[in-house]
Amino acid sequence: MRNMKLLKTLTWVVGTGFLIILPFLIPTRMHVAVIALYYAILASSWALLAGYGGQFSFAHMAFAGLGAYTAGLIGKFIRFTTAPTGLCTEFSMGDWWLVVQDAGSPTCLETAKAAMPVGALIVKLPAWLDITMGIIVGGLFGLLIGALVLRLRRTYLALFTIAFAEILRTVINAERDITGGPGGLKVDPLFPNGLTIFGRTFEAADKLPSYYVMLVLFLAVLALMYWLVGSRFGLFIRSIREDEEAAASLGVNVVRYKILLFTITAMIAAAAGGVYAHFVRVIAPNMMVIKEMSVVIAMAVIGGMESLLGAAIGAIIIEFALEQLRSDITIGSFSINMTDWRLVVFGALLMITLRFWGNGLIFPIIQRITRRGVAEETVAKRVQPASTPTAEAPVMEQEVEA
Amino acid sequence: MNYPSIFWYAVLWIIVWGAVGALVTPRVYARKDKFTHQTAMIGAFIGGAFGPVGLIILWVLTPQLSAKWILASGLVVLLWLGLAFSRADPDNLCVTSGSFVATQLANGLVIGSIYGLMALGLTLIFSILGIVSFAHGEFYMLGGMVTYYFTQVFFPEINPLWGVLAAALFTFVLGSIFELLFLRPMITGQIERPGEYAILVTFGLAFFLQYTTLSLVGASPKKVPRFFDYPKVEVPPDSGAILKMTPGNVTFFDIISIPSPRITALIIALILLAALLYFLYRTWTGKALRAVSQDRQAAAVTGINPKRMNTLAFSLGGMLAGISGAALVQVFSWVPWVGIPASSRSFVIIVLGGMGSLPGAFIGGLILGVVEALGAGCVPDPNRAAAYLPAYGMIILVLVLLLKPTGLFGREL
Repeated sequence: MRNMKLLKTLTWVVGTGFLIILPFLIPTRMHVAVIALYYAILASSWALLAGYGGQFSFAHMAFAGLGAYTAGLIGKFIRFTTAPTGLCTEFSMGDWWLVVQDAGSPTCLETAKAAMPVGALIVKLPAWLDITMGIIVGGLFGLLIGALVLRLRRTYLALFTIAFAEILRTVINAERDITGGPGGLKVDPLFPNGLTIFGRTFEAADKLPSYYVMLVLFLAVLALMYWLVGSRFGLFIRSIREDEEAAASLGVNVVRYKILLFTITAMIAAAAGGVYAHFVRVIAPNMMVIKEMSVVIAMAVIGGMESLLGAAIGAIIIEFALEQLRSDITIGSFSINMTDWRLVVFGALLMITLRFWGNGLIFPIIQRITRRGVAEETVAKRVQPASTPTAEAPVMEQEVEA
Repeated sequence: MNYPSIFWYAVLWIIVWGAVGALVTPRVYARKDKFTHQTAMIGAFIGGAFGPVGLIILWVLTPQLSAKWILASGLVVLLWLGLAFSRADPDNLCVTSGSFVATQLANGLVIGSIYGLMALGLTLIFSILGIVSFAHGEFYMLGGMVTYYFTQVFFPEINPLWGVLAAALFTFVLGSIFELLFLRPMITGQIERPGEYAILVTFGLAFFLQYTTLSLVGASPKKVPRFFDYPKVEVPPDSGAILKMTPGNVTFFDIISIPSPRITALIIALILLAALLYFLYRTWTGKALRAVSQDRQAAAVTGINPKRMNTLAFSLGGMLAGISGAALVQVFSWVPWVGIPASSRSFVIIVLGGMGSLPGAFIGGLILGVVEALGAGCVPDPNRAAAYLPAYGMIILVLVLLLKPTGLFGREL
């Protein structure tokens, strides 16, 4: 028993430690590493939604996009000043004014600056606050969509979210005055003034701080999701997935828990999108195309839809593989453009995995490693006469946990 | 700029009283111990159409309700919207030019018939296999691509109808191969959770087909010239002739003008619809298909092989999408991701028409076609109007899900 627990803790410690020292192993590929973590958050939260809860949403990237665009638009349009501008749309908040530079008057703040008293401050919302706003917006949309669709059958959610994702992308594409359209929206870096930690100074463009921010988000999200899965909530959503009618008859408020689950995963996706926006610094509506969603689904499925960790590891491995496969292959006179073909390969792999390995490719490996001890102990218990019923209960618990 | 104020206040008014009607009416009916079936929807429509006065009359009298009420009050809502629109934007082409509106309506109906045909394929698949194919748009895209390559690249001199036939054959075969390889295991019990598997595997197929096509043919738009040049029918101007034709355009009654490729597409769609109806209602196989959609077990007892019917339904559904694509490839330019908006359109249509309902799919297609055409023609900013084309369908989808999730002709879920 204790061995088991130790092994598990050890796996987590080693895994986390590996991710912490990763930047020093591959200093040239930091960009891919951050993006890989971004996908890992999305894939594992999608696995929570689909693999645990059985709710198939194709709008996960749209929620990430909502988070990213909320953060970006706040950075573009919202300022706080210590003096009123008199030109822009503004709201008084005690000593500060909340100034909205709407698309109709993009230069109002510039003009007003000249007339302001000396020493007046104009500040942007800090990055963590606009990411929080993005999370709230993502959650609100999740709540609305969930309330609209989740009382219906499962297919409706898939149908609705795929249409919603497409609409959101079209709207952002069309409203160029506000969002910058297909050309993209500039976002400030996570630490616009650089960062000094342990005597080392990082420029705003350095990727290392962003990596650790994304890593912290990833670990926090993973911890939150594992806590949720282990709680009553996790039990309820799994029962809903197995049999909605049965769960309802046992007193689970099915619709409420489905909406809650959908909202939580939407917020997680929005958080990932917000950090991503501050990391890549130019976001375009292309981050929400169906292709991105397909890639996230492929990651979750290949990693193992029914395991949060499996999906996350799958995402990290596949992101690195996708980047590795970018270069063209030349066989004799044939030159294969791998930028498109690699996605064909992953599409085929997605279908084949679904067909033959419903648990994914990576999750069974994790299961093998972490459950080896459990299997032996269970066998040992079975061999013993059943005189110690109390000792069996923890084993059961262990199995449920894993 | 009184445009936004009047129109948006009217919309707000309708939404608010519609919501009040939808929320309160069922309670009033329940309190008076009357039949509450569909009272929410009728309350919403009456609230939207007649505001508080209509609602109070409805609540006091609580008459026995029927579908006629929905239709009547729905028309009144549309009338209000139209009036508000014409008051708000009097210079709009939609308000000043009747022939423009008629042309838009006719074009919407023509394109809508193709949408309907495509959605018919999706609803056929749903009614037999019980799944929604998320790769439906990709069959549509492939139909167009095959037609392009068949008629433009491989056999440039051939009659374009052969291209349509090739597209039909290709998508039919592709559908049956996919069904046999990936969907057959669902009913033989080799898959743990068939419902979830079906969503993901068809989505995976969509991804796979899209990128295979992109890798093979590239991202540059393909354009197929119109299949047929129409004979020129000359009439003196303003003679009130019923029909006027040029090779690229057909004009009815001097006011409704439709590009000829769309007419060709409409004719293909109508012929196919007739063939499909004949197949479903007059042949043994078609009857067997409908029997399986009604009751699998009973159908199996009478000697129908449900597995074979599954394959047939999926291939037929894919083929209908493929032919829709082949018919429209001469109207729009074709890229590998042209299927994405097309498939969301089909989803809107089958939800609107009722999942699994064949007439619902076709009528839903016509409705969506008209709404999109009017939206594209009447929204003041033309760039934006075109960009928001998919959004009009989305509004319909939200309304249907709010008011009547079973759709127009759906079976109760």
